[in-house]
Amino acid sequence: MSDATFMGVSREKIDWAPTIDYSKCDFCMECDDFCPHKVFERREGEVKLVVANPKNCVVFCRACAKTCGPDALTFPSKPETIAAIKQIRAKEGEAE
Amino acid sequence: MKCAVLVCSGLDKPLGSLAREVAVCAAEQAECEIVCPVLLNNSPGRYEATLKELPLAVVDGCGTRCATKLATQMGLKIGRRMLLPEAIKELGETFEDSLRPGPEARALALKLALQLTADEAEEEAAETEAVTFPEPADFLKVTHDKFVFPIPVEGYFFNENDCWVQVVGGRARVGITDYMQQTLTDITYFAPPEVGREVEQFDDLGAVESAKAVFDVISPVGGKIVAVNAALEDTPELINEGPYTGGWLVELELTDFEADRELLLTGEQYAVKVKQKAEEASA
Repeated sequence: MSDATFMGVSREKIDWAPTIDYSKCDFCMECDDFCPHKVFERREGEVKLVVANPKNCVVFCRACAKTCGPDALTFPSKPETIAAIKQIRAKEGEAE
Repeated sequence: MKCAVLVCSGLDKPLGSLAREVAVCAAEQAECEIVCPVLLNNSPGRYEATLKELPLAVVDGCGTRCATKLATQMGLKIGRRMLLPEAIKELGETFEDSLRPGPEARALALKLALQLTADEAEEEAAETEAVTFPEPADFLKVTHDKFVFPIPVEGYFFNENDCWVQVVGGRARVGITDYMQQTLTDITYFAPPEVGREVEQFDDLGAVESAKAVFDVISPVGGKIVAVNAALEDTPELINEGPYTGGWLVELELTDFEADRELLLTGEQYAVKVKQKAEEASA
């Protein structure tokens, strides 16, 4: 997936993925069952779920958060992410 | 509107108690019939007559959406739906976290029940002038294994979130692409956004649900929502049958299409993406 791009920008450079609030998460695994992109991974021990593959997350998708009963998933701000993408595009446009 | 109300039965959760209260209010205020999810699951026959006669309203207490999932599993057609945390937020209300609904929670439940059972709002008179969106003439066809994904070229633009926009003058129609409808398989519900709301490019425009997944509709353009496709309420499968035509989702009055255009793909560019996505999905 290293060559993946979104809007012409390398996916690696885009900060978009869920954050798990462990004070709310009850490890019901609904989000992991739901997400087809393997963003989450299950672990043994106290913390049973982690965001293992943030770069697999579809930029601007927040669908997993809607499956979350305890509302434990948050995402970065969309306007800020769009601004960052535009900035990278502008910079790379100049470089070409 | 009189309906059958299937509610979340989260007995161990405050929102579950609120959901039950909403059902009771709906029964009192609009003569709705309450459908118990546990009994429905065990003896579906008990509600057969009710469900045949009345449209189904589903109330979910939380994002786990047990009531919606049960309705889908039972093959029931969902007429309207309410997700309590969202509905409470939309009303600008707060909810006291208690398993036993107090006076405030009961007042909130009444408001929610009235909203759930409200008669269809008259179409907003926002229709300044009728805009005709022409049916696509030419399609690019991306093939992968036994699958074919048609992509219209003329007059359509795409974002990488598998949504399309067709622009006529200052108006735009938005939907999901054929690739996405095939990925989702049989679509059971479109949760529409609120008409009149202003959205920015890449904001949500509701969600499309199938037995397999929930798909966030990510708007390719910014603007004011002026219409949602009312036909999808009864026949969400139109999205499968004609994702670029009869299965359109939302119409908007554009804010600044030229600016939005910068971050959109043409049909040719989207075709390259679809090929990549299909290959990755089957890898």
